[in-house]
Amino acid sequence: MKRTVSRAAIIRALLRKELVSYARDTVYLALTLAVLIAAPLLFRAMPDRVEEDLVLAVSPPVDRLLEGSAEALRALGASEADVARIREADLAKQEGLLLVEFDDEVKMRQAIDGTLQVWRTRDGKLAFVDTAAGEKRPKGTKRVDVQVGVAFPERFLADLALGKRGLAVTVYTHASAPPELRQAVTSFVREAAFEVAGEALPVQFPDEKDVVVGVDRLGDQVSLREKMRPMLLFVVLMMETFSMASLVSTEVLERTVTAVLVTPAKASDFIAAKTIFGTLVSFTQALIVLALIGGVTQENWSLMLAVLVMGAVMFTGIALLVGAAGKDFMGQLFYAMLFTVPMLIPAFAALFPGSVAPWVRILPTFPIIDVLVKATVYGGGWRESAGSLAYAAVWLAVLYGAGVVALKRKVASL
Amino acid sequence: MSEAHEPAIAVKDLRFSYGEIEAVKGISFEVMPGEILGFLGPNGAGKSTTIKMLIGLLPPQGGTATVLGTDVALDDPGLQARIGVCFEEKNLYLNMTARENLEFFAALYGVKDADVEGALRRVGLADRANDRVKTFSKGMRQRMMIARAFINRPDVLFLDEPTDGLDPVTAAAIRATIKEEAERGAAVLLTTHDMFEADELSDRVAFMNEGRIVALDTPENLKLKHGTRAVRVRLRDKEGVREEVLPLGDGEATARLAELAASPDLLTIHTEEATLEQIFIALTGRGLAG
Repeated sequence: MKRTVSRAAIIRALLRKELVSYARDTVYLALTLAVLIAAPLLFRAMPDRVEEDLVLAVSPPVDRLLEGSAEALRALGASEADVARIREADLAKQEGLLLVEFDDEVKMRQAIDGTLQVWRTRDGKLAFVDTAAGEKRPKGTKRVDVQVGVAFPERFLADLALGKRGLAVTVYTHASAPPELRQAVTSFVREAAFEVAGEALPVQFPDEKDVVVGVDRLGDQVSLREKMRPMLLFVVLMMETFSMASLVSTEVLERTVTAVLVTPAKASDFIAAKTIFGTLVSFTQALIVLALIGGVTQENWSLMLAVLVMGAVMFTGIALLVGAAGKDFMGQLFYAMLFTVPMLIPAFAALFPGSVAPWVRILPTFPIIDVLVKATVYGGGWRESAGSLAYAAVWLAVLYGAGVVALKRKVASL
Repeated sequence: MSEAHEPAIAVKDLRFSYGEIEAVKGISFEVMPGEILGFLGPNGAGKSTTIKMLIGLLPPQGGTATVLGTDVALDDPGLQARIGVCFEEKNLYLNMTARENLEFFAALYGVKDADVEGALRRVGLADRANDRVKTFSKGMRQRMMIARAFINRPDVLFLDEPTDGLDPVTAAAIRATIKEEAERGAAVLLTTHDMFEADELSDRVAFMNEGRIVALDTPENLKLKHGTRAVRVRLRDKEGVREEVLPLGDGEATARLAELAASPDLLTIHTEEATLEQIFIALTGRGLAG
C-alpha cells in the first residue's frame, strides 16, 4: 500500500522534535534564560543620560571670592563697572559646568581622592558624606564624581582685577583623570582670569551653530544605555548560534540525521526545519529583549522586525556552517568562536563609534548593527537603512547558502 | 506491498566506488516478500555500501536496484515510507522519551494511527515508554532500534546487527519478532556477524567479500555443498574416549551407527556439516569477523 506524507507534515514533525530537544537540554535553556535575564539587567544598569557638565571643585566658594573682591575693589577705588564685570564672570553660572564649592582646600582634596563623597539631589543640591566618619548616603541622590578641583587664594579675584601679577592657583586632579582634563581646567581658569582682568583672548570664535556638523544633539546626547540597545539585540541574536550549532552537530555526531533521512524526510526538510526553528528561537528572544528594553516606535517597527529576521536567519546560517564543520564538541566550539568573534566586532561600533577601523564595515554583521543603530538611536527609517539592508541581504545569502551546502555535504558523507 | 511473485528487492550489477576504491563490484541478488536474506561478510566487504544504496542514502553509480518495484535512484518518498531500517549505531534521540521517539518517526513515515504502545510492548519496553532514551541500557536502546524499524509496518526491512548487545533471552525474542515480520510478508535483508543468528533466521544467505557476492544459497544447500555428509561418534573405551566418523548413505556405516547407538559406551553423535563460518573461510580464505 502506497503511503504518502506531505512536506508540511514532515517539517511539522521535525519542528516538534527540535522544540523537545531544545527544551530538554539544560545548557541551551540556561544560555537562553541567561541572555533573557542578563540583557535587560545590563541595559538598566547603564546610565540613561549623558553627564554633560564638567564637574569642577573649587575652594573657597565663589560667593566668598566675589564678596571679598567687591569690597576690596571699592576700597581701592574701583568703579561700579569694574565690580559688575567681575560679578558677570560668575563661574558658578557657566554653562556646562557643575561647580562643587568647598570651604577649605583640604576638604576639596578629600573629595577628589574619594574619602569625602559628593552626592546630588534631583533638585541640584549637593550633599557631602564623610565615609570615614560612618556617614551614609542621603536618599534619592546621585553620586557626583569629582576628579578635578581648583584652589584659589582668598583674594584672587580682587587681586586679579587690580592687575596683580604672580597669583598662585593650584589645580588638583585625581590619579585616574585623563591629562586632558587637567589641561582643560587650566585653560578654563586662564580664560576666566583673562575675562576678570579685562583682557580678552586675542582670538575669535565663530557662532557655535555654524560649526556643528550633522545633527546637533546638544542637550540630547546618546546615552550609554541607548548605545547598548542595538548591541544587546545583536548579542541576543548571536548567542543562539551556539545552541543551534550544537543542535546540528549533535544530529550529525550521533547520526540521528541518518535515521531521519531513510524516512520520507529529505535533507532539504531537515535543513528547512533547522532554519525555521533557529530563526524563530533567535528572533523570538530578540523580540522579548526588545520589549523589555524598548526601542520600537510607530515609525521603526517594520524596519526593526525586518532587520531582526535578517539577523536571525544570518546567524542560523552561521550555525548550520559551524554545526556541519565541528567533528566533536571542541571542534564545534572552535568553529563557533572562529565565526562569531569577528561577527561581534561591529557591535562595538555602536558603543565606540569613533574607534572602528574601516575594515569592520566589510564584516557581514556590520550592516545589521548599522540598521539597528540607525533605527533605535537616530530614528532612521527604511530610506536611511536601504543600503545597509541590501548589503546585509547579500551577506545573508552568502552565509546561509554556505551553511546549507556545508550541512548537505556533511549529511551525504555520513 | 509488491505482488508475492515479484521480488521486494531486486539488485542487478550494482556498483559503487569511493574515489579509486571500488566498494561494490557489480553484485546481483533478489529478496522475495516474506523472505529473510542473511547478508554476511567481513568488515569492508561492501555490505554497508550496498545497504546504503538500497535505503536511499547513496546513489548507485552503476547497475540497477529496485525496492518494491521502485528504482532506488529515484529517491521516492513513497518508497521510503514503506521501508524500515535498524542501524548498527544506535542513533536514537536521547533527550526524547521512548514514546516520543516512536511518535516522531511514525509522523515522518506518515503513519497516523501508529501503535506505539504495541511496538514498545513487543520489544519489552512498555513500562519505560515515558522515560528518556538516554536513561536506557545498551540492550534497551537496541530494542528501541527494533521498535523504530517496525513502527511503520514496513514491507521491506533492513536490519544491521539487530541483536547486537542483547542477552540471549532478549535476542531470541527479537529473532522471533523478525520471523513474525517475515511471516507477515515483509522482505528482510539481515546483516549480522552472528552465524547462529544467520543460520536460524535466514531463508538464504549471501556471502560478500571484497565487493562481490561469492556465494548465495540456502544455509542447507551451502552446508551440503561445502560440508561432509557424515556423523562423528564419541565413545568411551578402556583407554578413555575415542571417535569414529561414519559417512551417511553408506550401508555398512549405517549398520555400524545403529550398533553404536545401542551401545552403553556412546557419549555423543554430531553431524559433520560445515558451519557458515567454515564455508566462508573456505570460499574466501578469511574469517567473517575480519
